[in-house]
Amino acid sequence: MMAVQKKRSFGLRKAIQLAFSYGILTLVAFLISVPVIWLLVTSLKLDVEYNVWPIKFFPKEAQWRNYAEVFAPRHHILRYARNSLVLALGSTILTIITSSMGGFAFSRFQDVTGRDELFSIVVALLIVPAMVTVIPQFIVFSRLRLTNTYWPWALWGLGGSAYYIFMFRQFFLSFPKELEDAAEVDGCNPLRIYWQIFLPNAKPVLATAFIMGFGGVWGDWFTPLIYLTTENTTLAVKIASAYVNPQGYKIVTVTLAACVVYMLPLVIMFFLGQKYILKGMLTSGLKGV
Amino acid sequence: MSAAQLRTRHTGLWRRLSSRKWRRTSWFYAFIAPWLLGFVFLWIIPLVLGFLTSMTNYDGLNLANVKFLGLRNYARSLGDPDARFSFGQTLKWTALNLPAWMILSFILALILNRDVRGRGVFRTLYYLPSVIPIVALVWIWRIILDRNVGLLNAVISLFRPGTAIPWLTTHALQGLTVIAVWSGLGWGMIVFLAGLQDIPDELVAAARIDGASTLQVFRYVTLPLMTPVVFFVLINGLIGSFQQYVIPQLLTPEGTLSSVPPRSVYLSMVHVNREVFAFQRFGYGTALLWLLFVVVAALAIVVFRTSRYWVYTEAKEK
Repeated sequence: MMAVQKKRSFGLRKAIQLAFSYGILTLVAFLISVPVIWLLVTSLKLDVEYNVWPIKFFPKEAQWRNYAEVFAPRHHILRYARNSLVLALGSTILTIITSSMGGFAFSRFQDVTGRDELFSIVVALLIVPAMVTVIPQFIVFSRLRLTNTYWPWALWGLGGSAYYIFMFRQFFLSFPKELEDAAEVDGCNPLRIYWQIFLPNAKPVLATAFIMGFGGVWGDWFTPLIYLTTENTTLAVKIASAYVNPQGYKIVTVTLAACVVYMLPLVIMFFLGQKYILKGMLTSGLKGV
Repeated sequence: MSAAQLRTRHTGLWRRLSSRKWRRTSWFYAFIAPWLLGFVFLWIIPLVLGFLTSMTNYDGLNLANVKFLGLRNYARSLGDPDARFSFGQTLKWTALNLPAWMILSFILALILNRDVRGRGVFRTLYYLPSVIPIVALVWIWRIILDRNVGLLNAVISLFRPGTAIPWLTTHALQGLTVIAVWSGLGWGMIVFLAGLQDIPDELVAAARIDGASTLQVFRYVTLPLMTPVVFFVLINGLIGSFQQYVIPQLLTPEGTLSSVPPRSVYLSMVHVNREVFAFQRFGYGTALLWLLFVVVAALAIVVFRTSRYWVYTEAKEK
């Protein structure tokens, strides 16, 4: 009898603990999402509903028109979106190709002189803050008259990134040596081994690098601002300044709708690839230098 | 087999081997060539030129008028009131942002480190703010932190009617901290979570059997084992804080290069970029940049040096 009671009270305690866990998890999730919820709600308001005190928590009627206004031809949002897409896709694909080549080389050519020294440069570059290169690179590119073109993005892409090289190397290190030995016996040269064996088997890292790289360029505001002009700049620069109506007044709620549209691709990509990203960031990005 | 035969066979083998080695070497360098060229042309050359620029009066256009100034730009920065002010604000901002961000990220990781179903969903939700691009991020917080019609002041007004705290101007340092912490939580959380999941369950269980309370387990098992991760996050956060530029610049009404952020978030990098991109003082701006870099590097070295007093390493236990 006693034993049964004990067991039941233990179960109850466990249930309370579980409820407590979920309670905290949900509460924190709510607190963290409040800003995003508020963005979505406010993007559906009339501007006068946003600009009142005391504030109105919900719009009287959801203004889906705000979203239509975002795409109104006079704002040219599609042109800016296309520019963002071209830059983000182009430079990310280039970076992934050159970085994975680097990662492959650093993980597989143990016997080559200079490999370890060069790899220590890669590791050193991981800690150097980005701020030291932005202005010097701008000085060089502006002297080469490459500002106001997309060439800097192509060159950054071609140069690869120490971070992704490191990521790919960590991942490739786990591939068995027999794999390439067998391929080599069959007469595969390293390029084919890289392209047909290593790359197709690196999907988690490829996805992580792609989403991170794409998000980096898509979200970048400062670089297009200093390199490009209103003619060829990106969505980030466009949205940084508020939408104005034909009379020249800033319309905050439409700008917020534009923000939702602007961040949507990144959010979708994150949800699709989150398993890879969160894992990839940890297993290959941080551990085991 | 004669000696001559042996020699020719030997050299043949040697040649075959060395040609294989040579082949592998050229393949290796072919594979890393793009990165290596990028390293030379996008890092080494710009950095050298950038350093030389800091000793000139280069204005971004005219090479004919460039004069060599030696260390005069550096000397001038010491007497620059804006440089000094912005550095002070950077220190304040770091002191505010770094602990807030690290503690909250750690707490989030602890919350997520329970063995419950659906944990992955919560982890994804908690990470979501870090996905939001910076321009959208600033807009989101503008409408929350707005002095007159912002959500935050509205909520505070429920308890203290008539609240109109200027989070984006006078109190922009606090506003900036809120924005940056919210956006950085995801990364910090993921790193701390990885550290927590590396702690062997046996260790916690053993402490439990010895009668340790939850708090004691945290204090004497979890925290010491987490110090390497704390160290890693601290270094990254420190470097990141000193580089903060984009959010203050976007907090200006126009959000352009020439607009001036609120005085309280006039940080060091804001001053540097303003000198370079608003006034075209490339020489002076790069001098400020190198000084700031030296400070960051020195701080990072200090953290590295002190780490042996508080970062737990397995080797010490022997």
